[in-house]
Amino acid sequence: MVKLSANETIKANSRLLRGTIAEGLRLQATGAIADDDTQLTKFHGIYQQDDRDLRGERARKKLEKAFSFMARVRIPAGVLTPRQWLGLDDVATERGNGTLRLTTRQTVQLHGLIKSNLRPTIQAIHAALLDTIAACGDVNRNVTASVVPQYPAVHAEISALARAISEHLLPHSRAWHEIWIDGELVADAEPEDEPILGRTYLPRKFKISIAVPPHNDTDAFAHEVGLIAIVNGGKVAGYNVLVGGGMGMTHGEPDTFPRTGDLIGFCRPEHVVTLCEKIVTIQRDWGDRGDRKHARLKYTIERLGLDRFVAELTERLGFALAPARPYRFSQTGDPNGWVEGADGKSHHFLFIENGRVQGPVRDALRAIAGAHDGRFILTPNQNLVIADVAPEQRAAIDLLLHQHGLSPSSVLRRNAVACVALPTCGLALAESERYLPDLITALEAEIARNGLADEAIVIRMTGCPNGCARPYLAEIGLVGTGPGKYNLYLGGAFDGSRLSKLYRKDVGHAEILAALAPLLAEYADHRDRGERFSDYVIRARHVRATTAGNRFHADLATDLTV
Amino acid sequence: MTSSLATPPLSDDQLAPVRRLLAGATAEQRQWLSGYVAGYQAATETRAAIPAAAAAPVAKLPLTVLYASESGNAEALALNVRKVAGRGGFAAKVLDMADVTPADLVGTANLLVIASTWGEGDPPQRAEAFHAALMAADAPHYEKLHYAVLALGDRAYARFCEIGRQFDARFADLGARRIADLVECDLDYKKTAADWTEATLRTLAERAEPAAAVIHVDFARPAAVEAADDAPRVANAEIVEHINLNGSRSDRTTCHIALSLAGSGLTYQPGDAIGFMPRNDPALVEDVLHVTGLLADAGMRDALTQQLDITTLTRAQVGAYARLTGAAALRAIAADDTRIADFLRDRQVIDLLEAAPHALSAAQLTALLRPLPPRLYSAASSQLAVGEEVHLLVARIGWESHGRARHGVASTDLTERRRVGDTLPITVKANPHFRLPADGAAPVIMIGPGTGVAPFRAFLQEREASGARGSNWLFFGARRFTHDFLYQLEWQDWLQSGVLSRIDLAFSRDQREKVYVQHRMWQARRDLYAWLRDGAFLYVCGDAKAMAKDVHAMLLAIIADQTGKDTDAAVAELRALQRAGRYLRDVY
Repeated sequence: MVKLSANETIKANSRLLRGTIAEGLRLQATGAIADDDTQLTKFHGIYQQDDRDLRGERARKKLEKAFSFMARVRIPAGVLTPRQWLGLDDVATERGNGTLRLTTRQTVQLHGLIKSNLRPTIQAIHAALLDTIAACGDVNRNVTASVVPQYPAVHAEISALARAISEHLLPHSRAWHEIWIDGELVADAEPEDEPILGRTYLPRKFKISIAVPPHNDTDAFAHEVGLIAIVNGGKVAGYNVLVGGGMGMTHGEPDTFPRTGDLIGFCRPEHVVTLCEKIVTIQRDWGDRGDRKHARLKYTIERLGLDRFVAELTERLGFALAPARPYRFSQTGDPNGWVEGADGKSHHFLFIENGRVQGPVRDALRAIAGAHDGRFILTPNQNLVIADVAPEQRAAIDLLLHQHGLSPSSVLRRNAVACVALPTCGLALAESERYLPDLITALEAEIARNGLADEAIVIRMTGCPNGCARPYLAEIGLVGTGPGKYNLYLGGAFDGSRLSKLYRKDVGHAEILAALAPLLAEYADHRDRGERFSDYVIRARHVRATTAGNRFHADLATDLTV
Repeated sequence: MTSSLATPPLSDDQLAPVRRLLAGATAEQRQWLSGYVAGYQAATETRAAIPAAAAAPVAKLPLTVLYASESGNAEALALNVRKVAGRGGFAAKVLDMADVTPADLVGTANLLVIASTWGEGDPPQRAEAFHAALMAADAPHYEKLHYAVLALGDRAYARFCEIGRQFDARFADLGARRIADLVECDLDYKKTAADWTEATLRTLAERAEPAAAVIHVDFARPAAVEAADDAPRVANAEIVEHINLNGSRSDRTTCHIALSLAGSGLTYQPGDAIGFMPRNDPALVEDVLHVTGLLADAGMRDALTQQLDITTLTRAQVGAYARLTGAAALRAIAADDTRIADFLRDRQVIDLLEAAPHALSAAQLTALLRPLPPRLYSAASSQLAVGEEVHLLVARIGWESHGRARHGVASTDLTERRRVGDTLPITVKANPHFRLPADGAAPVIMIGPGTGVAPFRAFLQEREASGARGSNWLFFGARRFTHDFLYQLEWQDWLQSGVLSRIDLAFSRDQREKVYVQHRMWQARRDLYAWLRDGAFLYVCGDAKAMAKDVHAMLLAIIADQTGKDTDAAVAELRALQRAGRYLRDVY
């Protein structure tokens, strides 16, 4: 019998995610909640964090750590009404740090919520007809879907599917409502059960996404379940199914690695929810509950083999999946500016650097939300689409954007994604969101010098190896290893289908520039027509191609220092 | 009376006959009874020590010294009067207005009143009830009373010595005979007070019949000696810790300053204050020297830094400077009550000097300025816990008025200009009216937002170190939880160990609606009133202008709400609590 990880005990003793959260909220003298409860609030979409910039001064000033909370909203497919957007924006001002953070899972995070503001915040989110249930924790996270409002029927169908999957896999526990909304606990009553997730929930987080080729904005290969819509004649015929993708790994532990999902077949639309449920239950039953670093589905599949997994899935489904259908991805990035839909409506893809909504962008979006009756759609690249704009309304939107002084960004910047990292994320080893803009500025000069200003090159950065910004699928990936230090990865495919390879280890700003400058110059001179940067560095043998997750740490060059 | 919060140390059975007796007694009978009980107490306590034969009564002239004190100055003066009077053959007793009613004074023959004025012409808070009763239409008539009033005040305030003036006039209205004119004292009151003491005692003694045993009155003793007798001992204390407790993102600066008392011989009790002589802002000193043309005068620079008040502006100074300079504009202002009030608002000495720049001699400037007064900070520590140290909690004060940045003299000096290793000349100022209950089992409720929490840190240190079993409940407030929660880790430790039974917190700027301690009190009103009913002592420390008033009003609202009675009954109940010494305030 494998020894269970500590989290398993916490979950088992939590009375279905209640723990002592409610009691902890009533303790006024501390801004924190009990340690065990910090694991449970994740299931309610809430992370306890502390301002790491301030850690040094606190104890001397007889103050505890500067605790605050991050609340992550559940927004399947990233679709919001402008009114909902305003509700979130309001509460960010009143209770949070005055910013909204869009994420790579198409959600909104509110940061800097102190404990006394937490319940009012969740209630405000609830009042906006949203919730934070299962936005974090060992459950199915926010279900993402390609942002393709230009194909209205397809987008409507995949959005509805994302919502249906999300709802179907939600915890059945009433704990979230009891603790955050009603404020009353049903004494000792545990009437609920968790028929799908189980009373100790999943061994680890679980992610599902839906992509619509040629758009791979959701990074279909990076999730436990990647669904690839097969569209015939404007209708979704069904979905190719990828299983066992995932990003997170741990530095120095080669048996942890990012993994691209395996394509196991084609599923008709009406079976997709059931398919997801069955995959979840296999992971529930077979996943590793002893070591959280090996607890995701990708390791279950590595351990048992894909064949055995598929056999079990067939067994649980009661039928076998059809053979996968042909598809072709072209890119992971978002369009920029206006995109016209088949129904005559327009959609404005607004670049938001690192998803941080503040300052002029925030003001502009407030103004637009007040005047706009379509939808806001959050993208997996942390951008935002002002969707469903009638042709005659476009000028008004353009004017509002112009009035707020939003100037166009370079192609390089628009294709860059960073996670939050410091100062709030407890996992960060290095800066990310606060540093990437400066690195991009430095690289822009290099790019311009080489005449590459119009070339899209995907750059992604995270402050730790857990992979929130999916850096291992970027053409240039930077993963924090320590303060000011990053591992530099190259060769991730432009369309998101191939993992990258470690190129330089523990390098700082100057070394990153020194490493990339000659490669960019070489690429400019020697690339084939239409050849992507990532494909070039592999062809030029700067790195070897990573063919599968379990080869991620293999085939490294012998000298990874500069 | 039966629902009074003032819990007597007697059972209901014991109290019943006393109440019956008092209910039917005249004022005179009650007066006699109170004396009888006091005499009985004295007699039974000293019976063993003093042979009955030695207690031959000597006819002494009775004297009552009545005081209304806020900071303790009036009280100290009253005690000094008793000392001097005792030597002069008086049988003097000292009464705090907090403990008596006007009716209690009926029948008194000789009364000396020492009364301070507080804030904008208000009576000291503990004298509020007496003041109100004396001013009321049904105040008693004092036909036998001979009296004199010494008024303490601060000329920086518009209604200087207002309360002393009111008492002086009111006793005359009520039939008492004034034996000396009202004497008013500014901040440098000691010499004036000593002279007044001597003069009034002499008058009373001379008034007495020759047959009375008031002899050998040695009033020739220099009054100044009396003043020196109670001059506080000054000792140098080294700063051993100096920490801004506010987080770096706070817009506040509140310093925890630990001073070493090693070798100083100073001791203090929780509730006491530490006096210290601040130094003026060097930049402001230069401005004053510049505008008066005294930049080259090193001695004046020194005096302006350490001895003279160069911030507080008084009405008298405007007049004096107008005369000195002959400036027409200033003379016009000084001559007009409305204009001078306007001019004084938010202005300081430098504004006056710059309004009509004029070269002054060092002597002229010195004469114009008042002495720099010492400042007091509540001790934030208990010696039981910190030994030969005292801790202060000092909030830096700064504001802007008339286009000039202003800095609190003492708070800026302590927080900005003093460092670890510096020494401060300090004194201990006893605060006998802000003490923990003698009974360690008595519950304690402490309301201390901002730096008002300082004495409560001392209280908790004391209660912990002395092993007091009573429950402790703290109300604290500040702007923001994350950055302004003074001594957060210490409260957490005390909550953990059980020394602190409960804490209720109000952070005004963490949400859109402002939340203050009184709102938390209202939310907790059931428990709060239950604590009071169970004998809790309630302490309030901090801002007098807003907080203490709001808290007081909230206490009345809570009592009314919990008893279902009207405001008058709540006022009476709170007053009874105050009289019982269980509602204590140290506000500033």
